[in-house]
Amino acid sequence: MSDRDSESRLTGPAPALAAGWLLILSGLAPNLACAESETVDNQGCLRCHQMATLAYRDPGTGEIVDLSIAPMALSHSAHGKLACSDCHSADFDRYPHPKRLKEETLSCVGCHEDQDDADQRLYRFETIDEEFERSVHATSDHPKAAGFSCHSCHDPHAFRNSRVGEEIRQIVHDDNAICLSCHKKVQDPLRDPHAWLPKREKHRESVRCLDCHTPLTEAGQPVSHRILAAEDSNRDCVNCHSKEPQLLNRLYQYRSEEDLASKGWVSKAVFNEAYVVGMSRSPLIDRLALAVIGITVLVLGAHGYGRYRAYRREQEDQA
Amino acid sequence: MSQLYLYPLWVRVWHWVNAAIFLVLMYTGASMHFNGAGWLMEFQTAITVHNTAGILLTVGWIGFILGNLTTSNGRHYHVQLKGFIGRLTAQSLYYGYGIFRNAPHPFHPSAEAKLNTLQQITYIGVMYLLMPLLVLSGWAFLFSVYLPETLFGIGSVWVVAIAHLTLAYLLVLFLLVHLYVITTGETPMTNMKAMLSGWHRDSHQDTEA
Repeated sequence: MSDRDSESRLTGPAPALAAGWLLILSGLAPNLACAESETVDNQGCLRCHQMATLAYRDPGTGEIVDLSIAPMALSHSAHGKLACSDCHSADFDRYPHPKRLKEETLSCVGCHEDQDDADQRLYRFETIDEEFERSVHATSDHPKAAGFSCHSCHDPHAFRNSRVGEEIRQIVHDDNAICLSCHKKVQDPLRDPHAWLPKREKHRESVRCLDCHTPLTEAGQPVSHRILAAEDSNRDCVNCHSKEPQLLNRLYQYRSEEDLASKGWVSKAVFNEAYVVGMSRSPLIDRLALAVIGITVLVLGAHGYGRYRAYRREQEDQA
Repeated sequence: MSQLYLYPLWVRVWHWVNAAIFLVLMYTGASMHFNGAGWLMEFQTAITVHNTAGILLTVGWIGFILGNLTTSNGRHYHVQLKGFIGRLTAQSLYYGYGIFRNAPHPFHPSAEAKLNTLQQITYIGVMYLLMPLLVLSGWAFLFSVYLPETLFGIGSVWVVAIAHLTLAYLLVLFLLVHLYVITTGETPMTNMKAMLSGWHRDSHQDTEA
């Protein structure tokens, strides 16, 4: 998934706050109709909210709260066909917006689970919610994780799923940009905790942060929303590199070169530390070979039994 | 009762050392390939033992080839084309049919030819084709960095790994058949005893090695 155009505006702890305030101010509220409007006329709202500079400084936190919505990003987003009032209270059409609307919150899960086709979607939002509750973003005590919500990563006014046909490298880039918009340390070569990772840049270009920082999803959904803490994340190269021959090839050759350069030929021949589990795995050959071996054993057993019968016959004839 | 000295000491030593190494390679190879199952050897230990045994197998194979080149044992692997098909058919018919009818063995081992035609082509296939390919693929696995990046358009490590695996399965299959076929002598233990003592003993001459 990607979150177009959002990372440039949502940075640091601001995304959560910005999203929160945006919803509060623009009408967080009871009208969770969730229906797709046939004719969408959001011009009334966008007249103000499309201004790129529409923002204010929150007196409590001192953070700048961005209230702007990019109309193009909105129209191309997953929610592009919705009217503002499908999610937000219709009362927002009055300005100044009524103060009571501040108290309301907006629930992604509730709305998405009410959709008719909810059970046919790749993602069940109830599952996402359960996974998120166990995510490091929800369980961490870190002050920057306070108030973390769906909108911290998924800007509801710009988010859309990636589609088949898009370049994978671009999808990976956009996906990782969401993480990197907060995780600044990862971008600093001196402080990056991924220093142990061989060919770091190549990994970052081709692998999503999520690929290592989520468990394999048990719910059958493409990606788990249970983001793992660094210490719980996958550091075992083999988990990915034994499943795909090309990756395996690269990993093994890389480790072999390291082995030869640091330990020499003899050590390489005896210890071969580059070898990874699953290198020679081929389910087809395994099954075929074990079947042939099994059949051979049966045939040999039958042959032996036939010989035994012949031997007994001979004994009887002699007796 | 006839006695023939068919297996000189070096052949017997090579045979049993090779057999022991092969069993170790099978167990450690399975431990690497199917790592995770309970009855297998610890992964890193299996790698070290497998590689060491592989080096010994290579040395043993070279020794076997040199032995066959420099002693008379090599003649048992020279195929006599004259009457080849007839001998092969007779031997196959015996194993497939005659053996259940207590038919006489179609082959009589001698100092000149200890292997029947079926055995001969099997052992040639195993020792002069499968075994060197297995050994080569093992070494190619270890020093794959010196191989081209791709072989036949596929990542070379994968080609080597799958070749090594397939050859290993074929040789396991050979071992099973070999273990069975050696029981088809005059008594089930006749051939086993011969490979231990070197002497092929028979109450009548119509037996085989």
